[in-house]
Amino acid sequence: MAFYTLGLTFDLVILLTVIVLAVWIYGIYFNFKKWGLGSTGYHDQLRNSFWLFIATWIHEAFKEGVWVFLRTVVLDVLLLRRTLARSPVRWVMHMCMFYGFLTLAALSGLGLMIDIVEHFNLLGLAEQAEIAKEALSLPFDIFGYLLLIGSTIAVSRRILLKFVRDNTTAYDAFLIGAVFLITITGFYAEWMRGNALLVGNAFEFPIYAPHFALIHTVLALGLFAFVLPWTKYIHVIATPMTLLANRGGE
Amino acid sequence: MANNKESKPLMTGYMMSTQLLEIDGCNRCQECMKWCPTFAVRPDRPGITPMYKNARWRELQAKSHSLRAKIFGPKPLNEDEMKAFTEDVYYCTTCGVCGTVCEAGIKTVDLWEAMRPNLVDRGNGPYGKQSFFPKLVKADRNPYQAKQEDRLCWVPKDAKVEESGEIVYFAGCTAAYRQQALGVATVRILNKLNVDFAMLGKDEWCCASAMVRTGQRAVMAEHAVHNVDALKDAGAKNVLFACAGCLRNAAIDWPQWYEGYIPYETMPLSVFLRDKIRNGEVEYKIPLNYTVTYHDPCHNGRHLMHLKGKDWAFEASRECIESIPGVKFKDMVRNRALQRCCGAGGGVKAGIPDLALDMAKARVKDGEEVQADIIASTCPFCRRNIMDGRNDAKSNIKVLDVVELMAASMGLDMTIPENPYTKFQEQDVLVCGPSVCKVETVERKEPGKDIVGEAH
Repeated sequence: MAFYTLGLTFDLVILLTVIVLAVWIYGIYFNFKKWGLGSTGYHDQLRNSFWLFIATWIHEAFKEGVWVFLRTVVLDVLLLRRTLARSPVRWVMHMCMFYGFLTLAALSGLGLMIDIVEHFNLLGLAEQAEIAKEALSLPFDIFGYLLLIGSTIAVSRRILLKFVRDNTTAYDAFLIGAVFLITITGFYAEWMRGNALLVGNAFEFPIYAPHFALIHTVLALGLFAFVLPWTKYIHVIATPMTLLANRGGE
Repeated sequence: MANNKESKPLMTGYMMSTQLLEIDGCNRCQECMKWCPTFAVRPDRPGITPMYKNARWRELQAKSHSLRAKIFGPKPLNEDEMKAFTEDVYYCTTCGVCGTVCEAGIKTVDLWEAMRPNLVDRGNGPYGKQSFFPKLVKADRNPYQAKQEDRLCWVPKDAKVEESGEIVYFAGCTAAYRQQALGVATVRILNKLNVDFAMLGKDEWCCASAMVRTGQRAVMAEHAVHNVDALKDAGAKNVLFACAGCLRNAAIDWPQWYEGYIPYETMPLSVFLRDKIRNGEVEYKIPLNYTVTYHDPCHNGRHLMHLKGKDWAFEASRECIESIPGVKFKDMVRNRALQRCCGAGGGVKAGIPDLALDMAKARVKDGEEVQADIIASTCPFCRRNIMDGRNDAKSNIKVLDVVELMAASMGLDMTIPENPYTKFQEQDVLVCGPSVCKVETVERKEPGKDIVGEAH
C-alpha cells in the first residue's frame, strides 16, 4: 500500500481503521440518541429513547407505504430532485460531491478488504487481489475527479457569489475547505505516483507519493470519524433520513 | 451569573424525534434565506432565517446534549442567548415557504410550531401581545372580547340560515365581528345558489389558530374538541370556510386533538363556488372593470396543498376571480407555492406589528408591480394586514375577498345590518349600482385598536 511509510505498518493501519470505525459508530449512536430526546408523535409525551427514535423514523418513513418510500429513495435521495428544482448548478455540485464522496468511501472500504485478502493470502487469492487492486485505480480516478468538480463548484460559489459569501460562516468555510483539501491531497498522491489519468507523468514524484497518500488518508479518516458525526457534516446522514421520514418533504 | 432559569435546559418536549433529526438535516444551502419574506424586510437579521435558527437550536441543545456536555457536564443556558433565540423564532410568520424550497425536505412550519411551546414552557415565549390570546379566547371564546350570542348578529333578516344540515358555513371570529362584509357576501351567495346550509351560532368557538401558531397549546384541545363536536351535532358532512386560518386549523390541527371519528369534509368556500361556476349555476350581472391580482394565503395554500392538492389550494380561487365578467386577472410574480407571505401569520401581527406592516408593504408593492387595482384574497387576516400595509404605504390599491367580488358581480345586496359591531368595521367594500360597482373604503367609527389585532 502506498501509505506504508513513516513507520506505518499494515497492523497499525488495521488498528487505526478499527478505532476510526468505532468512533464513527459511537458518533452515529450518539446522534440517534440525541434525536431520541423527542417524542413519537404530535403533542405526545417525551420518550427519550434511542430505540423509539428508530421506531418513529420507520413509522414516518413508511407511513404512506413502501412505494412512496422507494420513490423517495430514488427521486429525492439518489437523484436530489428538490435540489434540482431550486438550482441546477447546486444540483450538479451536490450530485458530484454526493456520488464522488460515497463511491470513494465505498472504494476505500473495498480496497482495504482487498488489502486484507492480499496480506493474509486469504483463500490463496493474493495474486488476484493484487490485480483487483490495480483495476480499482480507474474508478478511483473517475470518482475523484467527480468529487473535485463538486468541491471546486462549492468553493467557487462561496467565493464568487456575494449572497452566498456573505452568509458563509467559519464553520461552512472549514468544512468545505476540508473536503477540498482532502480531494486535492488525494489527487496529489495519485499524480505523484505517475501514469495518472489525464495528467500522465506531469507531477510524478514517487518518493513523496506515500507521504501525500498518508496525509490524505489521515485527513479523510479524521473527517469521517472525528468531524462527520459531531458537526454539521452529520447532514450527510441526517438529510437523507429527513427526506425519507418526510416522504420527500413538502 | 446563572439564575434558576439559566439552569433549565432547552426543552425538547414538544418536538418529535424526527423533528430533532430535521434540525441536523439542514445542510445550510441558504435557499430558505432567498425566499424568507421576513428576512426580505429585515436583512440585517439573518438569525431569523431557518438556516440560522436550526444552527442556533443545535448550539443551544449542545450545551446539555453533546459529547462535551457528556464528558464535562452540561453548561447553563445564557439568558441573553435565549432571548435572542426566542426573538428569532417568533420573528417568523410560519408561512412555510422555507419548507417548500428546502432541499432537505424539512417540514419547517411543524418544526417552528414545535419549538415555540418549548420556549413558552421555559418562560421565554410567547412574544409581545401574543400572551393575551389564550386569556381572551378562554374568557370569551373569541379574541375580540365579543359576545358569543352575537355570532350571527350580522346575518341579514331575510337570509336563510339553518341550525343544522349537511353543509355548514364556519364563519370564524373575524367575519363575525370585524369583517362582516365577508360574512354577508358568503350568506348571500349561498342563498342565491339555493344551498341549504347551517351555521353554528354561539356554538362556534374560535378555531384557536393563533394559540397553536404561537406555541400556546393549552386552550387548543378544548376548542378543537368543542368545534368538532358542534359540527358533528349539527349533522355536518361538508364544512365550508371563507377564512384560511380557520380552514387550516380545522383541516390540520383539530384532527390532531380530536380522538373520535370526524365525519365531515373541510372545504375552502372558493372550491365549493368554483364547482357551482363550472356547473353554470352562478349568474353574474355586473361587470367589475378592475385589474385584480390574487394573494395566496399561506394557510389556504402552502399549508394545505399536501392535504387537499394544489388545485384546491391555488387554482380554485383564481378560477372564481377569472369567472367574473370585466375582471382582468394578473398574477403577482411570487404566487402559488412560492407566494410572499403578507406578514399577518404566526402571531406576528399581534407580537411584532411593525414587522407585519413592513411585510404587508412588500406585498402591496408586489401588487403594484403588476398594476393591479385590487388585491383579492381568501383570508381575513391577510386582508387586514395588506390593508394596513396599503394605508401605511399610501397606495391606491384596494384589498377585497374573492367572495365579495363574486357577490358584487352577482348583484347581491351586501348591506350589513346595523349591529353592536358595526362601529368596528374597517374594510374596502364594493358598492354597486344597477350596472357598475365601485370600491370604497369603510372607515372604522370606533377609535382604537383591538388588544391583539386581527391575526392568526
